[in-house]
Amino acid sequence: MKLSKTNLFIGIVITVAIVISIIIILRTAMTTDNKTTISNVFIYDIKEFSKTDPNLVKYKEISKIKTGFQNPYAVATDPSDRIYIAGDKSIRILDSQDKILSEIKLSDTPQCLTIANDGSIYVGMKEHLEVYNPGGKLITKWNSLGQNVVITAIAVSGNDVFISDASGKIVLRYDTSGKLKGTIGRRDPDKGVPGFVVPSPYFDLAIAPDGLLRVVNPGLHKIETYTYDGDLESSWGDTSIDIKGFSGCCNPVNIAVFSDGRLVTCEKGIPRVKIYSSKGIFESVVAGAESFANTVGIYNPADTKDDSTKAIDIAVDSKKRILILDPVEKTVRVFVTKS
Amino acid sequence: MEEEKDKLSRRDFVRSSIRGACLLGLGGILGLFYNRARADDLVWQLDPYKCIQCGKCADNCVLEISAVKCVHNFSLCGYCRLCTGYFNPQPNALNTGAENQLCPLGAIKRNFVEDPYYEYTIDESLCIGCGKCVKGCYSFGNGSLFLQIRHDRCLNCNDCSIARGCPSNAFKRIPASQAYVFKGVEQKG
Repeated sequence: MKLSKTNLFIGIVITVAIVISIIIILRTAMTTDNKTTISNVFIYDIKEFSKTDPNLVKYKEISKIKTGFQNPYAVATDPSDRIYIAGDKSIRILDSQDKILSEIKLSDTPQCLTIANDGSIYVGMKEHLEVYNPGGKLITKWNSLGQNVVITAIAVSGNDVFISDASGKIVLRYDTSGKLKGTIGRRDPDKGVPGFVVPSPYFDLAIAPDGLLRVVNPGLHKIETYTYDGDLESSWGDTSIDIKGFSGCCNPVNIAVFSDGRLVTCEKGIPRVKIYSSKGIFESVVAGAESFANTVGIYNPADTKDDSTKAIDIAVDSKKRILILDPVEKTVRVFVTKS
Repeated sequence: MEEEKDKLSRRDFVRSSIRGACLLGLGGILGLFYNRARADDLVWQLDPYKCIQCGKCADNCVLEISAVKCVHNFSLCGYCRLCTGYFNPQPNALNTGAENQLCPLGAIKRNFVEDPYYEYTIDESLCIGCGKCVKGCYSFGNGSLFLQIRHDRCLNCNDCSIARGCPSNAFKRIPASQAYVFKGVEQKG
């Protein structure tokens, strides 16, 4: 059989193609990293969940207020938009332009504070309350609420003072004279009250414009609405690491309520501040984890100065500014809507 | 002549010196034995406050399965429904489904206590000491899970290969009578 020129040419082309293919395959095999593309299942990594979709971030940071505290703990505002920052052993009062107006020296470290409509300043120490008048003069110092009590939040409405006790996992209702009137949130399956689950000392509450109490149930990732008599009206909140939900053992750690009933929440673990409608529908992000990358951050055991266990606090004012107390930066960061 | 008698002969001097040296040696040996009897043996242990959960404990031990295990301080635990040491960051559901578990070896057991509390225990026969759950717990929770060398299997090598490779120098020798460094417990005495 005689080979035609065409067949010979095709044969040569096929042979060359095979040789080139073998060379490419061998070169690829020899130069490619042999590591598997399967991720290391023994590595704990939540970085992908800490990224925030920029389209969801509707707020921007416009300024920072230096607290001057080594350990700032809480921030609050009053109806006149004055800013109250509690830390170390004092409270600093600033006007809405961030100018320091006065300072109240305390005998102990404040854990939380709230400002009543009459301007009285309620300061929560570990297990007792102190009440100051707007001029900074001590009006009353309550007796200890109990040796094991851990006060984490206070809300005042008229003659009622609501105190959250993270240790007892209960909200205590007092009158302004310091007389106990009742408790809220004790587990009662018959009334549908699940009971508060508080794995760590973060247990916030606030009074909403509808006159009802909003209490965080951090272990269940819920915001619960209670009447002053302790009836559970409603609750919302999803357990999820997604931006719309709350994750970890205990989130959200702190809340604040706008005058229109919308709720601002802040979380630890993956630090982020978000806004929900009064019915609990996710609306937007104020500050994602990226905003706290150099401060509170996400847990990094290799970082000897890991501050991820420190929780941020929040307050809002009548101009709908959001004040975020950054305990690592020791500043109050002011956020406003981009629009 | 009297002075001559009082003088110590060279032979007596050597004899006395040897006696003294023998007594000294005997005393030394007795002292050594006494100290040995009194002193505690030292064992290797991991300081949980220095541990960075790098995962090397699982690989560097001379044992086929590392002597380092996750342990649980129940007094620190929140008994959370969503335990971030037990569940992967985005579980499909909060149940014991394998796809929801963080531990690649399923070494953590989740038991219902009462609504909404769950108890988490470590199955040491499955745990390899990778520290993944420890990091998950600490990232969001109270940090009640932590790593420790378990002395029922540790060979207490003179030159511990995990200690040698530990990037945070978390390993130290401690008395065998206090062989564990527990989180949340003050070390006394």
